[in-house]
Amino acid sequence: MTRLAAAAAGLALVAAVVFLALPVAALFLRISPGDLVDALRSEVFRDALLVSLKTSAIAHAAVLLVGTPAAYVLARRRFRGRGLVLTLFELPLVLPPAVAGVALLATFGRYQLLGGSLNALGIQVGLTQTAVVLAVAFVESPFYVRGAVAAFEAVDANLLDAARTLGASPPRVFARVALPLAAGGLGAASTLALARGLGEFGATIVFAGSLQRVTQTLPLAIYAEFEQDFDVALAIGALFAVFGVAILLALKLVPAWTRSLSISASRPAASTSS
Amino acid sequence: MRRAVAAAALAAALAAPASTSAGGGITVFAAASLTGVFPKIAALPRYSFAGSDQLAFQLRQGAPADVYAAASPKYPELLCRDGLVRKPAVFATNRLVVIVPRRNPARIGSVYDLRRSGVKLVIGDAGVPVGSYTRQILDTLGITNDVLKNVVSQETDVKGIVAKVALGEADAGFVYATDTKPVLRKVKPVALPAWAQPPIRYEIAVVSSTKRATAARAFVTKVLSRRGRALLAQAGFGLPKRK
Repeated sequence: MTRLAAAAAGLALVAAVVFLALPVAALFLRISPGDLVDALRSEVFRDALLVSLKTSAIAHAAVLLVGTPAAYVLARRRFRGRGLVLTLFELPLVLPPAVAGVALLATFGRYQLLGGSLNALGIQVGLTQTAVVLAVAFVESPFYVRGAVAAFEAVDANLLDAARTLGASPPRVFARVALPLAAGGLGAASTLALARGLGEFGATIVFAGSLQRVTQTLPLAIYAEFEQDFDVALAIGALFAVFGVAILLALKLVPAWTRSLSISASRPAASTSS
Repeated sequence: MRRAVAAAALAAALAAPASTSAGGGITVFAAASLTGVFPKIAALPRYSFAGSDQLAFQLRQGAPADVYAAASPKYPELLCRDGLVRKPAVFATNRLVVIVPRRNPARIGSVYDLRRSGVKLVIGDAGVPVGSYTRQILDTLGITNDVLKNVVSQETDVKGIVAKVALGEADAGFVYATDTKPVLRKVKPVALPAWAQPPIRYEIAVVSSTKRATAARAFVTKVLSRRGRALLAQAGFGLPKRK
């Protein structure tokens, strides 16, 4: 009986591995290396890559800039409504991206919630590159903030308090003690969020539309091309697979690097407290 | 032996969803512009409405459909040449119009106003029939470059164009005349010169690999019937001569 159970479990593992590995392998097997290079040289791909890199870079910078201090406050302070705020940061994780697109449209659309006021200022968001940036920031921010809150919570509060008693101002404690100690976790959260942002599709197509060189990101290019030029779609897919592997490897390596960092950083603090 | 039993159980578990989805009515792949009218002609089939080109691609990948109805002869004829669908029949015609949001923010009065800089125009992707018809009519009117520079989004089917204009995000869009009816409260059609209209013919065909050929043929007959034609006309489609 136990042998049967073990065999079944083994079989399940094999089935799961094949189910996940086969489609990824197919991305590379269905296209010859020559065609892959040709597809990566195509104008559609280059334009989409530039749009993706530009919009992701802007959105990611904004998420880091706003998300890091926000996460620090959430990790350090206990206040009324904190649970509510944390839940809010989880909402985009469970919302289908298309819902995010509709919600953004209902907020920033020309005749919607804020769109009228923005329009009066001569700003139109829908169907522009700004819309892509907003969509990417909206879907990736919870990945970063959640990870960043956890990273700051893992920092020994005694170290931060010690820095305070030694006369460091709160911004200095944040910048010189909390930030370096949480760097590893922040890096991991940042990487995951960046990957999620680069892959963003549903919110973008609803909110920003699709136009080569302007709003057509790599995932939108896959969708626009797959029935016209399957090779380009496959090539972009293969690129994402390589990128995904790189990210996962980086995340595996980051913890080791962090541990050494946090130990060295905690030594002086420990010696001063003794 | 035990291993074989476990394997068989697993195989059965994996196969279960496939067997439950079999049976029932036929599946019709139809151009997005047929979304309103086809369910009125026949309520029972399962419909997949999308760009004609996407549906053709899915059929080539072996998608299990029984009938294919496209907004242009191109894809049905290509699929027929390759033996994937039976001989297509023309069942409707259509016209292109420009739609603008009710409040017409860019004050579009004619197609020539679309040349003005700053107009936000949404059209179909070059691969989808509505997009290629749009390029044809712009070419005939001799205003291709001036108008295409105003395009802010290329949608993969006509529903995407209608939605973006109806919401007021875009100032104008090229769609079929039949697409305006359901959204007349939100958009205003702007007629295009009749002399420049490209011929727009819808074709329908039974998919060769269908396992429900009788039901599929019956559906095609229904679309081509007197009642089918009346419903198509009511929805604003033009009709080909009866053979």
